[in-house]
Amino acid sequence: MSGALAALVLTAVAAPVGLFALLGAASVAGRPLTERWTAFLTGTAMLLACTALCIAFAIHESTPAELRLLSYGAWSGSYSHAIGLEFLVDRMSLAFAALSAAILGIVAAFSNRYLHCEPGYNRYFVLLAMLSTGMLLVALAGNVEVLFVGWELVGLSSALLVGFFHERPAPVSNALRVLAIYRVSDAALLSAAVLLRHVAGSDSLELLFSGAPALSLAGLTPVKVTSIAVLIIVAVAGKSALLPFSGWLPRAMEGPTPSSAVYYGSLSIHAGCFLLLRAGPLFEQAMAARLLAGAAGASTAVFAAMATRVQSDVKSSLAYAALTQVGIIVVEIALGWSTIAFLHLSGHACFRLLQFLSAPNVLHDLHGMEDALGGRPTPARGYIEALAPRRAQLGLYLFALERGFLDSWLDRLVVAPFTTLTRRLTILDQRLCAAAAGASPAPPDDGSDGHDD
Amino acid sequence: MTSAPLWLAALAACPATVIVVSYVRLDVERLRSLAVGAASIMTAIALGAAFSPRLRTFSIPTTALAWRAGNESILRIDSFSAALLPFAAGLWLLTVGVTPRAALDRSGLRRTALATLITFASFLTESAVALVVLATASVWTLLAALAAPAHRRVRRVAAAYLGASTVLFAVGVMLVTAPSARGTGAETLGLWLMAGGALARKGILPFHAWVPEVFDRGRLGPAILFTAPQLGAYITVVLIVPHASPALLRTIATLALGTAVYGAALALAQTSARRACGYLFVSQSALVMAGLDCTSASALAGGLLVWLSAGLAFAGLARSVLVLESRRGRLDLATYHGGYRRMPLLAIAFLLTGLACTGFPGTMGFTGQELLVDGAIDLFPFMGFAVVIAAALTGLAVLRMYFALFCGRPDPPVPSALSLELQPRETWTFGALILVLVAFGVAPSPLVDSRFAASEAILRTRRMQTAAPELGPGQATAFAAPRSGHLQPQRQPQVGPSENAAVAEVHHDVH
Repeated sequence: MSGALAALVLTAVAAPVGLFALLGAASVAGRPLTERWTAFLTGTAMLLACTALCIAFAIHESTPAELRLLSYGAWSGSYSHAIGLEFLVDRMSLAFAALSAAILGIVAAFSNRYLHCEPGYNRYFVLLAMLSTGMLLVALAGNVEVLFVGWELVGLSSALLVGFFHERPAPVSNALRVLAIYRVSDAALLSAAVLLRHVAGSDSLELLFSGAPALSLAGLTPVKVTSIAVLIIVAVAGKSALLPFSGWLPRAMEGPTPSSAVYYGSLSIHAGCFLLLRAGPLFEQAMAARLLAGAAGASTAVFAAMATRVQSDVKSSLAYAALTQVGIIVVEIALGWSTIAFLHLSGHACFRLLQFLSAPNVLHDLHGMEDALGGRPTPARGYIEALAPRRAQLGLYLFALERGFLDSWLDRLVVAPFTTLTRRLTILDQRLCAAAAGASPAPPDDGSDGHDD
Repeated sequence: MTSAPLWLAALAACPATVIVVSYVRLDVERLRSLAVGAASIMTAIALGAAFSPRLRTFSIPTTALAWRAGNESILRIDSFSAALLPFAAGLWLLTVGVTPRAALDRSGLRRTALATLITFASFLTESAVALVVLATASVWTLLAALAAPAHRRVRRVAAAYLGASTVLFAVGVMLVTAPSARGTGAETLGLWLMAGGALARKGILPFHAWVPEVFDRGRLGPAILFTAPQLGAYITVVLIVPHASPALLRTIATLALGTAVYGAALALAQTSARRACGYLFVSQSALVMAGLDCTSASALAGGLLVWLSAGLAFAGLARSVLVLESRRGRLDLATYHGGYRRMPLLAIAFLLTGLACTGFPGTMGFTGQELLVDGAIDLFPFMGFAVVIAAALTGLAVLRMYFALFCGRPDPPVPSALSLELQPRETWTFGALILVLVAFGVAPSPLVDSRFAASEAILRTRRMQTAAPELGPGQATAFAAPRSGHLQPQRQPQVGPSENAAVAEVHHDVH
């Protein structure tokens, strides 16, 4: 039984990995596959992964074990503590992985028509395969390295898809912003992983996800548990756009609609919540971290609910609406309502995906209705903010319209000091060189003509 | 008896042939074809040597000018150096394979072959005196490449820093090899001077400023070929790590960790692509140094892995900048240049080598960075997180460069006859590089295991040397241990408390 489960899980992961390798190699070789083959292979890989995971789920449910570590041996070498290829499966991880595979298959089918004859068709599907690999690894990871690999794949594919229309400057600069926050998230996750290994001498996620006895056996004191939990919250906040990292979300809407749907409506934005869910036993031992997660989730939900009401484009409005629900899911996790949180997460991922994918059609219908009516329909009244004084309403409106001024705060508190410091250090380096050469610093345009090997 | 001398002769003959033929009146493109062929053969032979266990036991020991315990090998191939030979050959192949035609000349091809020969010879010796000579010669090759009047200023900068590095290294070697200096303060001073020389050569704070300057205002090709092999790292592993006190290693590692973050942060903020490459190299080179100076097997193995992966990936990244410059002129990161549609393969090559540089999953550097982070945090609980921060910043810097150089602007209409895409020779060269980076990223076991074997051998030597300071040349061979076993001294040396502590420290780290 266990052998069959291991084979099915490996098949489920191998399918998108193989797809990514195949599409990627064809692209790198300068011979991308035709649209027909790309769509067929992507659909087949996702169907295979989803079917394998559904059967694995059924097998798992028929056995008494709740948490099962599937180990496929050391991957990185034969030294002690080598990185192992390990998957940790339980009801939640298998269900989320199966849901991810199904959603990715649906999005692939939709994208095949949506991006038909688009110059970046092949690039899009390579990145979608990268996301598929990353999501399944995040869902099924059995150790921190596998989790980190998945986390990084999701982050990079996300940033590159935000910059999908890369002949315009706005998507590219927004992609860089998104990536900057993701790098903070990656660094926090890697730090948590390293701290775990340093303190507990193990990189197994089974340790984190097994509750108090395992944690105390591994020598994890409350302070250390809280430190790891806080780092995980920072990682989750970056990936799921919780406050104070919410500023990147509207910027991420530059990508094609199907990618926005799968990343910021459905899967990527929930990847952080899923990690929090799995790490529930860890958070039970770290009350301060739970409070922090709860506060981040609640404040994000309130902020996103305000921001979504004033967005002028449908994708940003939907993204903030999704963020509102993500904030609420995080609060549910912080309260320990893991089953409700998982159901909420799964239902919301599907519902928001549908909303995103149907948004262009809805807009089209709305324009038809406006033409028929000869103007815009009368807006609904009776919003709760009408209860606030007029000045407060204006203040809230401005706050929501400016998306909480998060970007300007980020620019003022982080980007500007960083730029100033690095510019001064660059000048200092140039002066050091000038002193070494016994001359004044060279002008910026001094140097070669560009053909100077 | 192994046939190692024959293999080594064949390896050395490849660049030597190019050097000799470069004096014959031959068309420069033909000379390049010869160099590409010679570099390919050299890479293939070096790979054969690296994978052959028989050849990895070759050494020609000498006691002449030997330093402290044990014989020095004037020429040897062991588990450590075996992987460096294909690395040096691969860098040469990359250089001659993708040098733009506009920058191609006979003396340049001769110089690259000579630089490769020097690097190759350096990787084969553990003699301090030989390394001084070879390090000086390699500095000369860089300065010779900067001989044109337009580079007079940057030549002075390079001469000042690298001259100081060479002098520090040479004086340090003189002090440690002097028979009367053994076990005295002069020997300690000599080690610190050698460390200073290695730091300056590798561009570690506070001796880093020359690297971005040479990249930016000098000649990028020779700068890549000079820096990417990281001879300073080799000197550190062979001469400093086995003998240095824990305090010296700690100082070097701390400086290196700080430099890793510094270089990555400044790479992110540059407006010149060349200068950004320079700071990226500073950061990557510092990560290697940080790993080498952590006395744990995993961190050392991580450093050795990052050395290879970052060296190859960085050389590929900087070479792709050079290829792009040959099509567009000087590259400014403050504006978007576009061009992905016209140069998709070059853009992909840039992105993949850049990601490999940062240790992205699925590339050769990933496992190395993981080992490095683990080892660094074990030894420096707080400073160790610098590796994490540096990795995050480096990734961001690479993506920023990619977006600025290939995206953000629609391609202008151009005559259809003008192709900016990679030429077949460039495509094959970059393709081979990417294949190596990804293959060892997906299946890292052979390389990782070989680097672990090397790191354990280095730490074994360190245990031997720190435990037997009074023994003369040749006497410490009694400490020789089986390859995978614990160190079992056959004759107990008279060691003081500090030496005992050093042995215990290393013993604990390894196991």
